[in-house]
Amino acid sequence: MEAEKTIRVECFRYDPETDRAPRFETYEVPLNGSMSVHDCLLYIRENLDPGLAYFINCKLGFCLRCRMMVNGKPCFACLTEVDADIRVEPPNKTRVIRDLWSEDV
Amino acid sequence: MTSCDRTMKTDLLVVGSEGAGGPAAIEARQRGIDVLIVTKGKISQCGASQMAGADFNLDGKSAIALGFPGDERDSPERFFSDIVREGLYLNNQRMVEKYVEYCPRSIKDLMDWGMRIYTYESAHAEEMARGVIASGVLWVRAIRKKVKELGIPVLQDHMVVDLLTTGGRMAGAVALDIKTGETVLIQSKAVVLASGGWHRAYRTTSGPYDLSGDGIAMAYRAGAKLTSMEMVQFIPFTVYWPPKARGSICLYIFSQFPGVGDFVHLVNASGERFMQKYDPQTMEQSTKGIVAIASELEVEAGRGGPNGGVFFSLEHLGPEMVEMIIQGVKAQFIERFKEKRHEFTHLLPELLEHCKVGRIECGNAAHYMLGGIKVNERAESTVPGLFAAGECSGGLWGAVRVASACSEAGVQGKIAGEAASECVSKVSHVSADEQQVQSVLECITRPIARTQGIRVAELTRRMHDVSGKKLWVIKDGNGLKSALEELKQVQSELEETAILGTKSRRLNDEWIRCLELRNLLTCLELSAKAGHARKESRGEFFRRDFTDTDNDEWLKTVEIAKQDGEDAVSFEPPVVTSITPPIGRLTFQEAIGVATASLTRK
Ligand SMILES: Cc1cc2nc3c(=O)[nH]c(=O)nc-3n(C[C@H](O)[C@H](O)[C@H](O)COP(=O)(O)OP(=O)(O)OC[C@H]3O[C@@H](n4cnc5c(N)ncnc54)[C@H](O)[C@@H]3O)c2cc1C
Ligand code: FES
Repeated sequence: MEAEKTIRVECFRYDPETDRAPRFETYEVPLNGSMSVHDCLLYIRENLDPGLAYFINCKLGFCLRCRMMVNGKPCFACLTEVDADIRVEPPNKTRVIRDLWSEDV
Repeated sequence: MTSCDRTMKTDLLVVGSEGAGGPAAIEARQRGIDVLIVTKGKISQCGASQMAGADFNLDGKSAIALGFPGDERDSPERFFSDIVREGLYLNNQRMVEKYVEYCPRSIKDLMDWGMRIYTYESAHAEEMARGVIASGVLWVRAIRKKVKELGIPVLQDHMVVDLLTTGGRMAGAVALDIKTGETVLIQSKAVVLASGGWHRAYRTTSGPYDLSGDGIAMAYRAGAKLTSMEMVQFIPFTVYWPPKARGSICLYIFSQFPGVGDFVHLVNASGERFMQKYDPQTMEQSTKGIVAIASELEVEAGRGGPNGGVFFSLEHLGPEMVEMIIQGVKAQFIERFKEKRHEFTHLLPELLEHCKVGRIECGNAAHYMLGGIKVNERAESTVPGLFAAGECSGGLWGAVRVASACSEAGVQGKIAGEAASECVSKVSHVSADEQQVQSVLECITRPIARTQGIRVAELTRRMHDVSGKKLWVIKDGNGLKSALEELKQVQSELEETAILGTKSRRLNDEWIRCLELRNLLTCLELSAKAGHARKESRGEFFRRDFTDTDNDEWLKTVEIAKQDGEDAVSFEPPVVTSITPPIGRLTFQEAIGVATASLTRK
């Protein structure tokens, strides 16, 4: 299906064991109907970069473990709708285990 | 020789922390047993239980005794008979008796643990009110509170990878700490598996991401017998589009609401109310299974939507009426029940809002697995010291589940807790077989060490392609046979060539998905194998090449166990206590009691 539009999703990437410093990686994600931050991350994991680490369980607002910072604001990834470029970071950048998953998830 | 990074010792290991695992551990703890829960997520924030409606069942008489309005005409015997008749007689009747007997106790426990209850009403379309309605979130939080209160240790974000047996007895399990990548040797005298279904074997499912059939696959590897693996329930009306609501069953639940459910129309791409062709009398209110099959036949005929579904529509009502319905839903959930779940406070009203001007694409999703680890009425599997409870077990429902799976989890959890407590007080620890631990560890680390091969995401995609076509709502012999071959191929490629993008062990998501994929493939393979063996259609299992329900030949369950490295299939007549199954051959529709339905594509 033809995408309505494509957005840029900037993801925080960091493995404290091997990386000297965190970096951001940008992915192009086609939007197709109302999509959440999680839908974008799933698209990335399934099509662009299977190594991106983030927490997902119910994707429908039950488990409340998908806290992330989106454009600097705390939110739940599956409950936050996306319609323009976003920057996604873990809830706590000082306690990162890997990428978007920090100790507080 | 490598060994596990950490070692723990407990008398009873419970795998899974939710509807079944929680009560199993609580029951054992209350009997003074040393128990440890290991869960892949966080307690009350994982599994299917949190997402349930949730309704709990008990017969109307017992309901009165617990202080609910109840129904004097009802009785435990009647409840029993409904489950067996509608289960199309494949149920283990001793398990059904135990279920009916324990349902009130299990609800009483939840009330004692402080679970708030919304209301008492009829659920699962029974004639009699038998449903105590709460929410999945209220349910699992009540369990969490009790687990905490009793001080039961919980190992969270740990995946149990394999069970350990020594001389045919349970010795414990090996788990992987998802966050640190450390392996843990857990020594225990007995194990209760409460690890849920294999929902994620299907691309379209209502279940959460942690349900990958781990418990079922590892029980199988440990030699346990599985039963009824072909019986998978699909739920129609699941949202396909928009993506953010994909997998939600809120429209299905809406279609069952008293009063408004009847308004729901299901239409195909040309706007035709297609249930007219398949079940003109009851239309969209027909049995779940019939609506599921009819939806697939429409999509097959090229009359589906762009995402492979059909359409939920309220267009005929007009926007004012839809607005009234939205207000009604909000009054019910938000004001009356003080509901907090996003799915009902936001998602459902939003989708209904969209129905003022359009339709919602929806279709079938893999929802509930009736089969699993074969257990008896004491939750004992065929391996001594290994118990199973909740959705990972099989045998209770026969071919159709007509009563509450939430109650199933609670009842079987409690029973498993009782039986496992007895078991561990009689036996002593056996030490783990070093060689077995060794081979489990090798199997875990192999994909990390590999440098060339196929990515896990690619193998997952191939599995989903097979399950979405050949192990979906409508099956046939050729499809099942080739599904089995293709899945075996994917399994062997996974074993020999799977690679990971990330080599580190710390929170290596892809690694966990790699370990899960092995279990998902095992469950699907065995489901295909059992399905191929069952040459008839019955309840949740529909084959295009054998559409009748054949009580003369097929009143038996398909069981599979590993024997000398091979999967050995056997057939067993269901355990009968008081209802003698009927004889004769019926059409699929007659057997499930919808004589008017036609299931051929038009
Ligand atoms: C969306 C949805 C709605 C539903 N609604 C209803 C309803 O209204 N009424 C009804 O009766 N039923 C309903 N069901 C079915 C019902 O919720 C489930 O059958 C039931 O909750 C299963 O409970 P369980 O404890 O067996 O498994 P789950 O609740 O699925 O829990 C499984 C647990 O095992 C853990 N686990 C899995 N693998 C491992 C491993 N390898 N190591 C460690 N831990 C592991 C998981 O993390 C989780 O803690 C619904 C199901 C879904 C998906
Ligand atoms: S993934 Fe469960 S709330 Fe977002």
